[in-house]
Order: sequence, then C-alpha cells, then structure tokens
Amino acid sequence: MPTAASWTDARRAVADVGHLLWFRARQVRRGRGGRWVAPVFIAVTLGAAVVPALLPGAGGEGRAFELLLLLPSATAGFLLLAVVSAVASGGGRELLAREPASIHPLSPTTDHLGALLLAPLNISWLLQCWALLGTTAYALGPDRVAAAQPVLLAWVLAATAVAQVVAWSLEGVRRTAHGIAVVRLLAAALLGGGLVLQMNGALVPLLDRIPTRPLVVGMLSGWSWRWVATLLVVLAALLVAVVLGAVPAHLAARRSPRDEMRVETGRYAARPAPRSVLAGLVRTDRASVWRAVPMRRGLAVLALGPGVVAVLGDLPWSSLTVLPGLVASGGALLYGVNAWCLDARGALWRESLPVPAGAVFAARAYVLGEFLLAASLVTVALAATRAGVPSPAELTALVCTLVVVTVQVVAAALRWSAQRPYAVDLRSARATPAPPLTMVGYSTRLAVSTTLTGLVFSAFARLPDWQVAILAAVPFLCWSTARLLRTARAWTDPADRARVVMTVAA
Amino acid sequence: MGDWEGAPPVVDVRSLHVRFGEVEAVAGVDLRAYAGQATALLGRNGAGKSTTMRVLAGVVPPTAGTVTVAGHDVRREPLAAKRAVGYCPDVGGLVPRATPWEHLQLSARLRRLDDWEERGRELLERFELGDAAHRVTAGFSHGMGRRLSVVLAALHRPAVLLLDEPFDGVDPIGVEATFEVIADARARGACVLVSTHLRELAVEACTSVTVLRGGSRVATVAADRMAGEEGARAYRGLLD
Repeated sequence: MPTAASWTDARRAVADVGHLLWFRARQVRRGRGGRWVAPVFIAVTLGAAVVPALLPGAGGEGRAFELLLLLPSATAGFLLLAVVSAVASGGGRELLAREPASIHPLSPTTDHLGALLLAPLNISWLLQCWALLGTTAYALGPDRVAAAQPVLLAWVLAATAVAQVVAWSLEGVRRTAHGIAVVRLLAAALLGGGLVLQMNGALVPLLDRIPTRPLVVGMLSGWSWRWVATLLVVLAALLVAVVLGAVPAHLAARRSPRDEMRVETGRYAARPAPRSVLAGLVRTDRASVWRAVPMRRGLAVLALGPGVVAVLGDLPWSSLTVLPGLVASGGALLYGVNAWCLDARGALWRESLPVPAGAVFAARAYVLGEFLLAASLVTVALAATRAGVPSPAELTALVCTLVVVTVQVVAAALRWSAQRPYAVDLRSARATPAPPLTMVGYSTRLAVSTTLTGLVFSAFARLPDWQVAILAAVPFLCWSTARLLRTARAWTDPADRARVVMTVAA
Repeated sequence: MGDWEGAPPVVDVRSLHVRFGEVEAVAGVDLRAYAGQATALLGRNGAGKSTTMRVLAGVVPPTAGTVTVAGHDVRREPLAAKRAVGYCPDVGGLVPRATPWEHLQLSARLRRLDDWEERGRELLERFELGDAAHRVTAGFSHGMGRRLSVVLAALHRPAVLLLDEPFDGVDPIGVEATFEVIADARARGACVLVSTHLRELAVEACTSVTVLRGGSRVATVAADRMAGEEGARAYRGLLD
C-alpha cells in the first residue's frame, strides 16, 4: 500500500468526507434547541473576537499589555493542548465508527480529514479558542483587532492540523512492537522535563524563547507586508499539515491497535465469586470501565494533565477548587453521559437477570462516582505537592468541592444516559459515548455548572471560617442527590428501561 | 394444538400487544407452551418473534395482554418470572469487556446458585469455550458469542428456556451442543421456546412450531408437519 496518497485518492477522500458528513447530519436528532446551535456558536465566537476589544482598558498599558506579553505562550499552549487531545484520542475522533465504516472503501486519508473536521467539536478546543480570541482582542484593542484575528484563527486551525500530524505519528509508533512503552516513556520524559525546568526556574525563560513570537509580531503589524507574510506562512503551514497528516494516518492504519488487541485477547484470572449481589454488579461494571482503552487513556490524561498544569502554574489552594469539576466533567464525557452503553449488546441479557432495577442503577452510579473521584483525587494530590500547607478553610472547601461536583456530575450524567441513550462501541480509543454535537452540548453544560461550583467554593476557601464551606455544600448535595434519586426512580419503570436497553443493544 | 396431558401451560401468552411509538411489533399474539416440550417460533423478519421472546424474558414490558411465565405474571412479578427463565437474546447478549467466567459468576450470584462451577465448566467445555473462559467477549467471533449465550441461558437449569436465534452463525459442533441443551431441558421437564429462521433445525429440535406473521400468530402445528419439502411448502404458504 503506498503511503503517499495520489491526487486522485485525495480528491476521492475529500468527496467521501462530504458523503460521511451528509450521512452523519441525517442522524442528528433535532431537538427544540437544535436549530440554535450553529447561530449561538457563531455569535459566541464573534463576541469573543470583538467584544473584549471594546472594553475599557483594551489595548492599553496596564492589564492589556501584560496579556499581550503572554500571547506567544498562549498560542504555543493551544498547540500543546491540541496535541495532547489528539494523541489521547488515538488520532482524533471518527466521522463514522469503526464497525459501520469497515464495510465501506474508506481510505485513511478520509479518516484523517474527518478527524480534523471533528476536532473543533470539543469543549476544551472551543474554550481555548474563545479564550485566545478574547485575550487577543483585549490585549490589542479596537484599532488592531481586525487585522490580528484572521492570523490568530489561521494559527488555531494550523495548530489543530499539526496536532493531528503528531497524533497520527505517535499512533503509528504506539502500534509497533514496543510502541506503547515508547510512547509512555516519551510522555513521562516530557512531563518530568517540564517539572524539572519549572523547579529550576528555567521554564519561563524557555517560554520566552518559543518561536510563536514572530506570529504575534505579525498579528500586531496591522495591514502591512509583514502581516500578509505572517498570514501566508500560517496558511501554508495549515495546508502542509493537512496534506502531510495523511501519511502517518496511512502508516497507522496499516498496523493493528495494540492497546485494544491486548485487552481483547488477554486473559483475566478468575477471582472468587462476589460476596453480594451489589458486589457482583459493581465488579462487572468496573471491568467494563477499566478494561476499555478510551476510558483508561482518557482518565490518565485527565488526572495528570490539570495536576501538572497546576504544579507548573503554582496554583494556590484556593484556586484548586476549580480542578475537581474540570476533571469530573471530562471523566463523565468518557462514558458517563451514556453510561448504559457499557453493556452494549449484553444489555439484553443483563436485563433478563433477576435483580431489582434499583440495584443495577446503584452499582452504575457507584462505579461512575468512584471513577470520577479517583481522577479528581490524583489531580488534587499532584497539585497539592506545590501548594504548601492549606488552611482549614482551604482544605474543607476543596473536600466539599470534590464531593459536591462528583455527585453533581454523576446525577447529570445518569439523567442524560437514560434520556438519550446511544448504541456505541467503546472498544476503540477514538470512540465517544455520543455523537459530536451532543458531546459539545453535554460538555458545555457540565463545564458551566462545575466551574461555577468550583468558583463558589474557591470564595469559601478564602474565608476565615472553615464551617461555611460545609454549610454551603449541604444545599448543593441535597439538590444533586434529589435529581439522582429522581433518575433512579425513573429507571425502575420497565418501559423506560426497555427503551434504553433496546437502544444501546441495537 | 391441545394441552399436553391436560397440564397447564408453563408459558401462557394471551392477546399480547407490544408497541414502540408508532410501530406495533406484536399485534395480538396468543401462545401456549408446555413443560417437557420445545416450541419453535418461525416467521419472517419483523414477524414479532424476538419481541415476543423479549417480553417472556422480562426485557420488554407488554403494552397490552397477559403474559404468564411459570405461573408468574411478567408485569406484576417480573423478578419471579426472570428467575424462572434462561434467555439467549437474538443479538450479542454479552457484556463486551467481561469474560465468560465472569458472566457465569454474575448470573450465579444473582440467581443465588451454589455449586454451579462444575456445571459451568462442563457447559463451557461442551460448547468448546473452555479455552476462552477467561478472555473478554469483545474479541469473540459471532459463533462463539452465540454459543456462550446458550451456555448462560442454560446454566441454572431454568423452568423456561428461551433461545432466540441460537443457531445463527454457529458451527455443527455448536448446533449439536445446543440440541443437547434443548433435549436435557425437555428431559427434566422444562419448557423450551426456540426462535429461528432455520426451519429444518427448528423441526429437528422442537416438538411443535408456531408461525408468526405481521406480529400475530397464524398457525401452531406439530413440528413434523414442517419437515422436508412438504413442510417447506406449507411454511411458505403460511408466510405469504
């Protein structure tokens, strides 16, 4: 198989992406709010790109100038996070899942282009993009924003395409004989190197030397030849990355995914019989979660990523309250928002077993809760290594946040799981539990609610009285628990349950 | 078909209707099946066979009608009905990241079985799954999955054995093992229902045949009347 796609193959791949997009668009369930999705995203993007430039102080000497100095690091940070996201998802999301796609003559180039198109349908990508646009607008002010934003948008797209090239390349390496170990060593070396640099105070000077400074200078140049040259260079990089990405995509497609093969062909030693009904259910659910490649890989990134950023950024205890919500939301997006899909076609058999529906629900909620809590605890533990000794109020606020956001996210995820089930095969590292647009909706709602909760408890962490956080946690917990119990009651309705079971088993 | 030796039916379905939104999957099925007998459900795609089986297994609630399994109304006593049933679903039926042994452990735990390991191992060996007992089922072939589903349905020696497409994609060894499971169940007085598209295998394994069409029962006859060329013609006549 040639690795370099011919021009005919490329045209065919582009046409196939169009066909797949049409196919996926036909499957989108258009709810009441569906028609507002595109206008809202366009409005938010335009708002982020323009409104901050009109605020008082925009483009001035104070805070705006400080943000301007940070822009090179921020643009490099976008590239770094795009790489982490694409690598964690094994080359990006699939336009068509592996099993239904296997019967069609789709080339890896189509897969690569599809993954590129889906990359922006991700709340972390969108939030970073909006944050970059907003920061640029405020830093430059109304006079220079119009020239700067097109360059920035081109950079965002180019960074996404470059991240895709890196992700396919690493996926190709991961699928070689010792590839998994190589990639893990590489990740550990990069993380360790970053930490060592930070500890020695060498990270900031290094960030000052990153080659995104010419990009920002080009953005600042207004309507000049330098601006034109910068834009052309970035657009050329985008084009090259899009085309070049097809090569490692072909290389990766030639090799079998070793992580998944290891899970599916490995042997799992028999354990003693579970001691109780609930223990049996929990054990089965845990196996479904922890033996899934996307869940293991996603959780590792979620648990370590924010923790390392917190260490590098030297976050104080009062700011750590934002992290559990971020991690729990990301964890729920790995499978929790469609939790019943864990059983896949086994759902029919499981539903025929003589066990109260409430016990099945309790086990699923427990396993999701411990999954989210485990990731949050790793993040907090990492972040705590550099945050010093917390005051009683800071510690109490953080513990309360951990408990509150976990219950909050479990309640929301299980509610959505019952309302909108999908038949999803979570074998692939690239699988998501729901279609891309639905995932954007879920992630937005989770991010807003958990970030607000984190900010509320961050304020309590600054108070002298540690009991305030506990008192404030009570109504939060009562509200989320009530919603969780309402979902549990709905789950006992056999007709509702049958709808979910038959959908996920389809 | 009359009652066997005057015994009450183990499976008693009266005027069963199942509706999914606008679609009526089952439109007034009446069905009786008896202890020690094996009944085949035949019919075209969409005839309502699998939905009827799912109602009997307690997976789908009936929209209307009464369904009694081993003396338990599936609507009012769902757990008691499920305890009496062993069900092999038509699609997959396996949790993808659990091993066959873990499936058996879960079933045994939920059914409060003691000393089931010996039978579990024997069934896995009979269906040639012994070597795969500790591998996750996501890596199984279709036929292996079908065979394991039959094992899971038969483990607890249920009073009612429901096998939905048990022969689909299964090799001759697996088909023979399934025949043995059906024969064993009948011998100990269980009631067996087999839904399949494979008429000849259904005739070989069962004592009677019920044909469904468009969500309703159109005929129930002795299995031998559906055998051979004559049976094939009779069956085709019932489908059109």
